[in-house]
Amino acid sequence: MTWATIRDILSIFFALAGIFFMFVGAIGVVRLPDAYNRLHATSKCSTLGIMGLALAAIFHVGTIAVAAKALMTIVFAIVAAPVGSHILAKAAHLDGMKPWDRQLSDELQQDRDRQSGKSPANAPRGMSANNPARSARRDPGSDPTARISAAV
Amino acid sequence: MNGLGSTMLSLGQGGSAHGSIASVGNASSPLQPALFFIFELGVILAIVGMMLCLYRMVRGPHLADRVLSGDTLAYQVVGLVILLTLRMESTTYLDGALVVAIIGFASTLAFAQYIGNLRRQTNA
Repeated sequence: MTWATIRDILSIFFALAGIFFMFVGAIGVVRLPDAYNRLHATSKCSTLGIMGLALAAIFHVGTIAVAAKALMTIVFAIVAAPVGSHILAKAAHLDGMKPWDRQLSDELQQDRDRQSGKSPANAPRGMSANNPARSARRDPGSDPTARISAAV
Repeated sequence: MNGLGSTMLSLGQGGSAHGSIASVGNASSPLQPALFFIFELGVILAIVGMMLCLYRMVRGPHLADRVLSGDTLAYQVVGLVILLTLRMESTTYLDGALVVAIIGFASTLAFAQYIGNLRRQTNA
């Protein structure tokens, strides 16, 4: 097995992985129920997909110039994608976007309510009014949702 | 598959004039048809993924949905450019991938700032 064949096999493997993650990310953007959930799919697409395709380019071409550009793309995508997803999710939460109706807890909203001094008005199901996360974790109670969130 | 491959092959020879990688790449490998088939499959799947992102951009109930679909669209374009680099055997396209990645990230940050300030502006 020559070095060219090994390079081709590595290129095929990384290209298939990259194509798979890109397409799965695009499907997730359409199919997931919520913008917070869709950001999860976007991050898969932009880190693992770009990384696979750029590694395929490195192994297929094999020159220093292409490897430098592809590595720059990988490093930039890995640094930028989580930052973009995080800041977009926080901006959507600041704007008051309604989350999925089957979510278990919204800890950022609880923290924000606790800091502003008011009791959490729209507390998630199964949580008691004051100090919700701790009490739910200590005493699951009879509500099945509280038991699930205490187990998590 | 063969018809598609021949049409895209004839497309590819136009791009191989300037920064050709045929001299440095392994053009005479036995796995070359499989590689080209995978790259063409990836181009098609990237285009389908861009259509899915455009669907979410049209449908999206909240502004954040549209922004994240635009972000995903930018990264699909990056992947498409890398796949076209590999398929057309011309390394000059690869600079576009980096530029699109940077611009997509900057636009995501700008739209996130805008979304985060929306409620404050309407309350004040």
